[in-house]
Amino acid sequence: MALLQALVDGLLIGGVYAVISLGLTLVFGVMGIVNFAHAQFVMIGMYVAWFAWATLGLDPLLASPLAFAAAFVLAAAIERLMIRRVMRAPPVAQVFLTVGLLIALENVALIVFGSDFRSVRTTYQTAALRLGPLFLSVPYLAAFALSAASAAALWLFLQRTWYGRAMRATAQDRMAAALFGIDPERMYQLAFALGAGLTAFGGAVILPYITVSPSVGGQFVVLMFTVVVLGGLGDVGGALVGGLVAGVIQSVSTVFFPIQLQNLVLFVVFVAVLAFRPQGLLRGVA
Amino acid sequence: MTDLLAVDHVSRRFGGLSAVRDVSFGIPRGQLVGLVGPNGAGKTTLFNVLVGLYAPSAGVVRLEGRTVSRLPPHRVCALGLTKTFQNVALFFDMTVRDNVLVGGLMRHSLRDARDLASHTLERVGLASVADKLAADLTFPERARVELARALCTEPKVLLLDEVMAALTHVEMDEILALIRQLREDGLTVLVVEHHMRAIMSLCERILVLNFGELIADGTPSEIVHDERVITAYLGRGHGSASARHA
Amino acid sequence: MSVPRRSLVPAVLLAVALVAPLFLDARGYPIRVLTFALLFAAMGQAWNIVGGLAAQMSLGHAGFFGIGAYTSTLLLVRTGVSPWVGMIAGAALAALAAVLLSIPTLKLKGHYFALATLAFGEVMRVVAGAWEHFTGGPQGISVPFSPDSLAAFQFKATRPYYYVMLAALVLVSLAFLAVSRGKLGYRLRAIRANQDAAEVVGIGTFRAKLAASVISASLTAALGTCYAQLNYFFDPETVFGLAPISIRVALIAIVGGTGTLWGPFVGAAFLIPAEELTNHYLGAAVAGISQLAYGLLLIVVILIEPRGLVALRIPRLGRRKVEVAP
Repeated sequence: MALLQALVDGLLIGGVYAVISLGLTLVFGVMGIVNFAHAQFVMIGMYVAWFAWATLGLDPLLASPLAFAAAFVLAAAIERLMIRRVMRAPPVAQVFLTVGLLIALENVALIVFGSDFRSVRTTYQTAALRLGPLFLSVPYLAAFALSAASAAALWLFLQRTWYGRAMRATAQDRMAAALFGIDPERMYQLAFALGAGLTAFGGAVILPYITVSPSVGGQFVVLMFTVVVLGGLGDVGGALVGGLVAGVIQSVSTVFFPIQLQNLVLFVVFVAVLAFRPQGLLRGVA
Repeated sequence: MTDLLAVDHVSRRFGGLSAVRDVSFGIPRGQLVGLVGPNGAGKTTLFNVLVGLYAPSAGVVRLEGRTVSRLPPHRVCALGLTKTFQNVALFFDMTVRDNVLVGGLMRHSLRDARDLASHTLERVGLASVADKLAADLTFPERARVELARALCTEPKVLLLDEVMAALTHVEMDEILALIRQLREDGLTVLVVEHHMRAIMSLCERILVLNFGELIADGTPSEIVHDERVITAYLGRGHGSASARHA
Repeated sequence: MSVPRRSLVPAVLLAVALVAPLFLDARGYPIRVLTFALLFAAMGQAWNIVGGLAAQMSLGHAGFFGIGAYTSTLLLVRTGVSPWVGMIAGAALAALAAVLLSIPTLKLKGHYFALATLAFGEVMRVVAGAWEHFTGGPQGISVPFSPDSLAAFQFKATRPYYYVMLAALVLVSLAFLAVSRGKLGYRLRAIRANQDAAEVVGIGTFRAKLAASVISASLTAALGTCYAQLNYFFDPETVFGLAPISIRVALIAIVGGTGTLWGPFVGAAFLIPAEELTNHYLGAAVAGISQLAYGLLLIVVILIEPRGLVALRIPRLGRRKVEVAP
């Protein structure tokens, strides 16, 4: 029974992991950049939602579009000022630029917001729905629903809009896309901003059950890469599956191991996938 | 087991495409053999299978009767089979001397490898540029570094992939003389070359590959009169065997 | 011709390094900064064997560093074994860890290798934090104090540590030179330039990279023991941390020029005092500002010369000497 409950919790949490990681995989898929700083957009999204709650009394779930917008604008600027300049540089330069960004963003937050852990109070925070013998946590459920909605929105954007198609074309073949009048640099900027926005959105919707602090992004760095690698780096559909799988692994492992080791199990999976199926679990199967 | 190198029904597929299809031949010790065929015939792929860079999809490669087709390239090299790279794969940020020396490390101490490298550079006529960076060489010089590096591994069978590309006539004659000398020294050589006049004069035996299949195997004079070769290979607007195929 | 000059520069540097502490307060702040700079230069040099010569960008060296620190300290605390013996045990354990890590990851390239090694460091950090009854957990662990002695690797003043770290830097640099100028160095540079070509001319690329990884890991672990003895106290974050160790160490080698003997010297001489100064003057004012400065520095260095990192790998005169010299 505990196992089934862990499975359900894992799926609900994993849905959020999926959306948070979608942004990272989108950036890699379109731009070919591994952004180590990407997890900081979770933190940024959480702070935006926290301040919306603290000053306007807005529920974090309602503030999630604000988080998306703020991260979108910030990321567009970061892309323009920094990322664009290392697009053609060797991986080592890209890695260290984004690592620098990771450290800088965390410490800007530390200086601006202080090291306090901040959380919101909502009416539904401890509520749970009963489904037979299972409990469905309301904040988990709400975060999952909004994550699913945003993933669907991304899918529609990529499939149905000119910008979405142009972005996919750029990811496939930059030169060919340019021949069709698509400005690749613009698409890179859009992808980077959109990826950051999605991740910040995911940060906002988990605020009802996770406290925010400047170092919260660090908890997500390896998690996000695990999700993305599970699904195949750059594979948007894969990240969705990867997120659910990661959520379930993390949640189910707490049934068998002490809670401090839940991330360890995930790391082991991560290294194993990198080593044996670096193209992702799905690629070549589906 | 009279053949030094035996290729037995070797195929190599990439996805659904067969780059090399059911190729068999044997090369006795000391023979100098040419491998020709139009662009995309699978010559370089076949070389990559022989040295172990690609595993064959089917078939077996034997060196002195020993199966080498599942071994990693460095093991194949240790057993005496190596190649030069058509697109020139030098260690560009190292000096010419160090490039060549690397070939000798497998069988020798660093000191002996250095002596061997100097000697080999002398032999291929690169002694004067030994301390230049490989990246600073001209294309014909780079091909010679490839050759010298491969020689330093002291192979029994040497596969040469277009070492004569972009050479002037004088340079080509020098390389041809060098390859003949290698054969005199007892080395078994398989040469891929586009320059037909060169290969006809150089080799005692020629293999013809077309669309991944071996379509002819014989002396130069047999090859130029082979119907299949003429239609498949020489028939593409070229009337004589001396025409140069780029 | 340049032989006298070539051996003159290191000789003068070494002489300065030997004499300098005599003019500094043996327990003062400046000598402490210098001691840490020496330690981190040595770590950059150890990283350089893998990251520079083999061009395998490891972001997980904290994993080995922490193994060294925890092994010697736990042995000392629990069984009273001398840190010098603990250092050897830690180096051996790190070598084993390097082998286990290498089997699945050595064939990975670029981003993937960086990610896998990063995960390794993080795993070690999590384990050290979670295995509380053994490691002391997130609260960290203290090295028990014992009187001034070289045998116990403990001194009251910083000055003796300075000389130990200087010796460590010299030894690690000699190890780097031995690798670089030996067969392994040629093999690693060949692999870095073109792995397929290296294989075809007889270089076992896996074995060569594995050897580099094991050497680098065990040296890094030995330096972890040095750190524990110097600092008396550490926790999982300070020895297994991503930013404090893994990234800093790689950065030291990269800023100075990867694959070169002098790179880590230059990198550490620049970065460690710069960090200390920002910490000293800004750190007290606002928490996080020195780390911010560090992150910004990283960004600026790369934006100024994004290709500079590789430009540094293209041999210049100084580097060629290192490679060609017998």
